[in-house]
Amino acid sequence: MADKEQAEYFKELSDAVLDMDEERTVTAAQDALDNSIDPYEAIQNGLSDGMARAGQLFEDEEYFIPELLMCSDAMYAGLDVLKPHLKATGESRGTVVIGVIEGDTHDIGKNMVRIMFETGGFHVIDLGRDVPPQRFVDTARESKADIIALSTLMTTTMDGMGTVVKLLNESDLRAGVKVMVGGGPISPGFAKRIGADGYAVNAAEAVKVARELVARDAVGAA
Amino acid sequence: MAHPAMTPLERFAAYARGEAIDRLPCVPIIGNTAARVTGVKVSAFRGNGRTIADAQIASYRRFGYDVVRVFTDLYTLAEAMGATVHYPEDETAYLEAPAITSVEEIERLRPVNPLRDGYLPRHLEAMGRVVEAVGNEVPVTGAVTCPFTTASFLIGTENLVRLTIRNPEAVHQLCRVALESAIRYAEAIIAAGCTPSLTDPMSSSTVIGPRQFREFSQPYLKRLIEYIHLSGKAATLHICGKTEKIWEAMADAGADCISIDNAASLTAAKRSVGHRVRIMGNVTPSEVMLQGTPADVRRAVRSCVAEAWDSPRGYIVASGCSLPTETPFANIQAMMDSVAEIGWPVDIQEVSLLPEGEGGRRPDEGAAVPSGFSPAPSP
Repeated sequence: MADKEQAEYFKELSDAVLDMDEERTVTAAQDALDNSIDPYEAIQNGLSDGMARAGQLFEDEEYFIPELLMCSDAMYAGLDVLKPHLKATGESRGTVVIGVIEGDTHDIGKNMVRIMFETGGFHVIDLGRDVPPQRFVDTARESKADIIALSTLMTTTMDGMGTVVKLLNESDLRAGVKVMVGGGPISPGFAKRIGADGYAVNAAEAVKVARELVARDAVGAA
Repeated sequence: MAHPAMTPLERFAAYARGEAIDRLPCVPIIGNTAARVTGVKVSAFRGNGRTIADAQIASYRRFGYDVVRVFTDLYTLAEAMGATVHYPEDETAYLEAPAITSVEEIERLRPVNPLRDGYLPRHLEAMGRVVEAVGNEVPVTGAVTCPFTTASFLIGTENLVRLTIRNPEAVHQLCRVALESAIRYAEAIIAAGCTPSLTDPMSSSTVIGPRQFREFSQPYLKRLIEYIHLSGKAATLHICGKTEKIWEAMADAGADCISIDNAASLTAAKRSVGHRVRIMGNVTPSEVMLQGTPADVRRAVRSCVAEAWDSPRGYIVASGCSLPTETPFANIQAMMDSVAEIGWPVDIQEVSLLPEGEGGRRPDEGAAVPSGFSPAPSP
C-alpha cells in the first residue's frame, strides 16, 4: 500500500471536487490510481463524497447552481480518469430513467439531479428535455429501470407527469418502477395527486428520496 | 367604500397620497391567459401587436385589475439579439437555442434597435394600442427582461452560470450588451406611453447566490432603473424563486416596488425592506391560481393581505409570477372579488377571523396591527 493512508486519497479527491478544482481532481485521481487505490472506492468515498458535501452546501444555501456545476465538472474530470480502471462489476444502486417532460426545454434542474444520481451510485439514462410521456415508459421497460424521475419547470407541462404515471399504471410495469417528480411548480401535494411515489425539492434531496424508494422496494419484495 | 368606482390610476394616486381608497390594488399577472379571453391561440400573439393589444384590453375590461402588462414571454429581447425561440401553437414560447455558444462570439452581439429588431416593434405597437384604449384609467406597462437573464438566453444558462466563476469578465461583457438593449427598449416603451416592468428570473437565489447577484446582476439593474427614473417613471422589479437574501440589494438597485413569489415570505419582506419599497405578491400561480378552487384563491388572498397590508410603503395583492395560460377565469375573478370584499381600510381582525390560506404565512408570524397606520407616499 502507498505511503499515505487510503483515507487521505479519498479526502483529497473529495476536497478537490468541493473546491471546484478540476485540475486538482484529475491529479488526485491519477495519484490514487498510481498508489493502487481501488477506483470504485475512490469514486464512492472521494468524488461522490465531494459531490454529497457540495449538495449539502447547496441545501444550506452556501453553494448555488454555479458552484454545483463547477463541482460536477471537477467530479466528471476525475471520473474520466478513474472509470477506465473500474472492474466491470461496478455495483449499482439501481437504474433511473430521467428527463424533462414534453413541452419544457429547461433542463438545468434535471441535469443537477442526474449528476447527484450518478454520483450517488445510480445508473442513469438521461432522455434529455422535451420528452413525450410514452418514451419514459418504453425506456423503463427496455432498461428494466427501478425509477422514473420526471422534472419540469413550467406549470404548463405538469400534466404530462400525470400522464406518465397513468401510462405506467396501464402497463405491466407499475409494480417494479417507482416514479419521482420535482421541479419549480411541483409540490408534494401535486406528486401525491398524480400518484407519484416520491417528491424531492432539490437535487440533493432527490438522491436521498431515490435511495429510500429503492430500499423500501427491496424490503417490500423480501 | 370611499369611491365605489375608482379607476386603477385614481386608486394608485390616492393610495400613494395616503388617502382613502376603495380596495387594495390587485394584479393577477396576466400574460398569455389573455389569449383565452379573446379566444385566440397563443401563437396568434407572435409578431402581432393588434392581437396582443386586443387580448390585453379585453382581459383588463373583463377583470378590472390594476396594471395591464404587455408580456408574452421572456425572450423578446434575446430573440432580437439572435437567440432562437420556439413558438408552440397554443402555449408559451420557449428558448430553442441561445444566440451564441462561446465566449469568442460575444463581440458579435449588438444591442437592439427596438424599432427594427425581432418582434420588439410589434410589442411596442401592442403597448401603444393598449395605452390608447385604456391608458387614461389604468397603468400600462411593457415587460423588459433584465440584463443577467437576457445574458443567460444569449449564451445559454449553464454556460453563463459557469462563466460567473470561470470567466467573470465575459459575464460582464454579456450583461453590458444586454443592458444596452434593455435601456434602448425601455426608452422605446416609455416613448409609447408605457412604463417598463422589469423581470429577472435568473437573478433569483434559486439560481445564483446573493454574492453573484451583487457582482453580476445588481450593477446592471441599477443602471437600468436609473434610466427609468430619469424618465420620471417608477420601477417594479420582479424576481421569482428565493429572493430573501437579495431584497436589500434589489432595493439598493433602486426598485420602487419589488414583486416576489411564493418561495418568499411577504411578512419577512415587509419587515426587511417594506420601509424602502412597495411590495407585491405572492398568491401561488400554479397550486392556487391554476389548480385551486375559488375558495382556495380567497383563502390565499386573505392570508397575503393579513401579512402585508400594513407594509410601510404600500402593498399590491398579486400573483407570485405570471399566471399559467390555463388559469381558470373563476380563480382570477375570485382574486379580484376577494380583494374587493376585504375593502379598505383593511379590518385586520375581520381578515384574521377568516380561514387561513396557503400564502406562506407561518403561525409565529401573525400580522401585527400598527396604530395610526397610513401608507407612505410612493414614487
